[in-house]
Amino acid sequence: MTTHAAIGAHDEEAAAAASNMLLAVKLAILSEVMLFGALFAAYFVIRGESPGWPPPGHLERPELVLPGFNTLLLVSSSVTMQLAVRAARAGNQSRILRWLGLTLLLGGTFIVIQAYEFSTNGFGLDAGTFGSTFYILTGFHGAHVLAGAILIAIVANRTRLGLVSVEHHTALEGTSYYWHFVDVVWIFLFSSLYVL
Amino acid sequence: MSPRRHLLTAGAVWVVLSVLGIVVVAGLQIIPVIASREAAIENHAFVLLTAVSVPVLMLVVVGLVYAALRFRAPNGTADGMADGIVDGPPIHGHRGFQAAWLAISLLMVLGLFAYGAVGLVEIRGAQAADFEVQVEAEQWAWHYAYANGVRSTELHVPVDRRVHLVIKSDDVIHSFWVPAFGVKQDAVPGHPTQIYVTATHAGTFPGMCAELCGLGHTGMTTTVVVADQAAVDAWLSNQPKPSPKPSPKPSPEASGS
Amino acid sequence: MIATRVLAAARTFAPRSRSFVPRPGLPRAILGAIIGFALGGGLAAELKAEPGQMLALAYLFGLAGFLLGVGAFRFWLTWAVGREIDVAEEHAAHGRAGEWQRYFRFTTDHKVIGVQYLVTAFVLFFTAGTAAMFMRFELAQPGIATNKELYNTIMSTHGAMMITVALVSIIGGLGNYLVPIMIGARDMAFPKANALSYWMLPLAILLVAINPLLGGFDSGWTAYPPLSQQANLGQQAYLMAFVTVGVSSILSAINFLVTVFRMRAPGMSLMRMPIFVWALTVTAALALIATSVVAAAFTMLLFDRILGTAFFRASRGGDVILFQHLFWFYSHPAVYIMALPGLGAILEVVPVFARKPLFAYPLAVLSFISIGVMSFMVWAHHMFVSGMAEFFHIPIMLTTELISVPTGIVFLSALGTIWLGRIQFKVPMLWVFGFIWAFLIGGITGVFLADVPTDIALSDTAFVVAHFHYTIVGGTIFGLFAGTYYWFPKITGRMYNERLGRLHFWWFTLAFNATFIPMFWLGIEGMRRRVADYPAEFGTVNLFISIAAFNIALSVGVFAFNMIRSWKTGPVAESNPWQAQTLEWQIASPPPIQNFDEIPTVTATPYQYGSPRPAAAEGSSGS
Repeated sequence: MTTHAAIGAHDEEAAAAASNMLLAVKLAILSEVMLFGALFAAYFVIRGESPGWPPPGHLERPELVLPGFNTLLLVSSSVTMQLAVRAARAGNQSRILRWLGLTLLLGGTFIVIQAYEFSTNGFGLDAGTFGSTFYILTGFHGAHVLAGAILIAIVANRTRLGLVSVEHHTALEGTSYYWHFVDVVWIFLFSSLYVL
Repeated sequence: MSPRRHLLTAGAVWVVLSVLGIVVVAGLQIIPVIASREAAIENHAFVLLTAVSVPVLMLVVVGLVYAALRFRAPNGTADGMADGIVDGPPIHGHRGFQAAWLAISLLMVLGLFAYGAVGLVEIRGAQAADFEVQVEAEQWAWHYAYANGVRSTELHVPVDRRVHLVIKSDDVIHSFWVPAFGVKQDAVPGHPTQIYVTATHAGTFPGMCAELCGLGHTGMTTTVVVADQAAVDAWLSNQPKPSPKPSPKPSPEASGS
Repeated sequence: MIATRVLAAARTFAPRSRSFVPRPGLPRAILGAIIGFALGGGLAAELKAEPGQMLALAYLFGLAGFLLGVGAFRFWLTWAVGREIDVAEEHAAHGRAGEWQRYFRFTTDHKVIGVQYLVTAFVLFFTAGTAAMFMRFELAQPGIATNKELYNTIMSTHGAMMITVALVSIIGGLGNYLVPIMIGARDMAFPKANALSYWMLPLAILLVAINPLLGGFDSGWTAYPPLSQQANLGQQAYLMAFVTVGVSSILSAINFLVTVFRMRAPGMSLMRMPIFVWALTVTAALALIATSVVAAAFTMLLFDRILGTAFFRASRGGDVILFQHLFWFYSHPAVYIMALPGLGAILEVVPVFARKPLFAYPLAVLSFISIGVMSFMVWAHHMFVSGMAEFFHIPIMLTTELISVPTGIVFLSALGTIWLGRIQFKVPMLWVFGFIWAFLIGGITGVFLADVPTDIALSDTAFVVAHFHYTIVGGTIFGLFAGTYYWFPKITGRMYNERLGRLHFWWFTLAFNATFIPMFWLGIEGMRRRVADYPAEFGTVNLFISIAAFNIALSVGVFAFNMIRSWKTGPVAESNPWQAQTLEWQIASPPPIQNFDEIPTVTATPYQYGSPRPAAAEGSSGS
């Protein structure tokens, strides 16, 4: 992506490049769906074969309060993310920054709360199949949230520098697809790991 | 030569070779040693599949050889194609031929599947047995625990009786295979597996591990003795009774190398 | 004299670099890798990590350092901090034509990347082949001639390397080079990501190559736990390297799909694309969808090894067979990722040398798509004796038998094209005939493995080894050779030596068949696979096989010689020596950097042989 605004044929080329990038993001998300799919499959198979869940000998089941609150945070952050996209389509720089900032705040809080939850869980990765499945799923998801937060920060900075406009906001849009995906994965996670 | 003549000539060669091939194959025994009901069923499957493969093989081979001989153009210079190169006819496809090919291959495949499914059900047979042995695999030997408490490194089973083998492992995946019985099943830690087999011939047969299990995989073999029930009972009662609890095996984490 | 020339070369390589900073590209990458490796290792030591954890950290940091050093992230980092992109530097990343240094740098020209992949793949092929020669030396006679531990490691390494060759050689090598040109584009959709995909490979390959120094691994490329949880550090090296190759191929797949779906020339509808492009498109879709699953499986296995998890530890509630399901859910589509590009190359070559349109082209496209879809429904046929749930056997037997129907269409298409043709038996066409025989044998023997009753007898025997060598060598390697000879004049601008090519073909094909046909018999007679020794009665046949296998290696030497010498001093080739109709033959050999002076408009499939040719049009024309 160049930093110059342009007219005519270059616009068409830029629009095609933007559309290609967004298709690439969607395909990447498809690959990620398969990754989480494999992890979920492992979880359900192992859980299905276990005599009881948590397995005998494993005492702690994480509480629902903190992750429940986290779910609200993440769902809200998807809303704010989408509002940022709307602002970009309208070309309103200050509104973009506001909504991106909020999204970052919500996502960041999610991470902090989850880190706190992990530290007080009372079990680790090595706590048999329960700990293994719990942490690999939440861990991979958390890493994706972190990566998303970094992406949002980068886009916010570029917005601040005046590099995001009605014509050029592909990164913002692509990041929003990714962020919504991360949110949906969390909803599955919350339902399967915590509630079920 | 017209296209029709080409097709008929090649077709005739194909029919002759296929018939010859099927006749040869039909009389074969493919599994080298057949000492069980299950192995006999498998041998039938082998013969049928080989017979069905013959016309398929011949179709392609005759097609290739015929084309190489009859549809060859004079060769070009070393770099690139011949000058005055002539193209073949602009045939992009043939609906009828394509449809026939699809239909015939689909029918063949479904037929093979049906035969295979029936065969599998027959091989698995009744899940009830007169004689049971626990097969314990470990890196790198086979142990057998009999109903009366005897333990041995030899598997003795009665002929013409249904035998039930329960296969276990505590370290890595092994696989219990007796070629003459036509049975093979992995020994999976945490997941005992079963084999039901009816031996039909007395004798001594080799068995071996059929899943890579580390350094000693190559040498992880065993002996299977099939004899009439009386002989097996006699052998069992002559075996030394086991001492309580064999010494604990080394933990799986210790490297096998 | 020499000193002046060296200095001149150094100056063109790095005109502005200071004396202590290594030149851009590979030298900086190596420095980056060393620094990263040291940082990761140091961090691990600080954290009092175990050897496995240390290797993981050192490798991850080393890989990051390598990629940073080669310059893979320069553009994206600049973009991320919002700095101005230097457009001139961007263009320079394409490299200047004729400059050999491009091949050792982060060059974004798809033609350079294609050659990088191709050469790397062939070097890996030769290395893995050498490992096979060691195996055949051990197996030439009963008894243990070398060392069981070393045998298991070399056997596993041979598999790991060859799998990698089969996965990347055609799509990464020939695909990258030719697909953009064949669809009338100037490059792939994401040239930088393309280069990144390539540069992820060298370190991964190195890691696999040095695994014997880390203690080796004896689990085979299939890495089943619990054995792979027990094994030495070399096992971990393999797992990490394989995941790296997987990430590279997912990135590559995204690139291919966006390129094919969005960058075709005007007039090139999907049903006017060359069949080779179709084959690679389906391949890319498979790689995109399936690879993450094996990445997950290997990650869980790695975690079991270094983080104390229990996914596959039976004593702690884990499920050993679960690994196999996850592994094969990827690895069966993977064999089509390996085979489809070869099938595509073969079907691309047949019409040119039979001088006839590709027979049943739409049906061939449909069959590739069907194979792709169905490849996700058959994985458990690798697990018939694994102890998996009994009810699964019959449905999987059905789907596995059914997949042979679309696979058979490949033979219909190839034979239908050849039949009534005017065949020119140039070297590429010889490989086509060899493929048809070899892939047929692979397919027929596959039916014996699909049928559960016969599979019980054949699973884990030499029969299986022969089957997959016939399908993968027959499909992928024969396709790779056909494609390499066919496109050699386009890529190098020179013609290979036809006589040496014929010698290679006949020697390889006879040696290959002599090596693997007897293995079917050995499997039926009861010889297992992955063993370093066998009963004495198999000695003579194994000796024969080993001698035949050594011949394979020798014939490949002829190939290497031919390629290298012809590239340097072969006769100059014209732009379309084969008088073929796909777009790459309508431009110069080798192609100019921008591929086309003017993007052509396409009006039909490139298989209009036997029809009156359009008159030579301005610019380049499709057909």
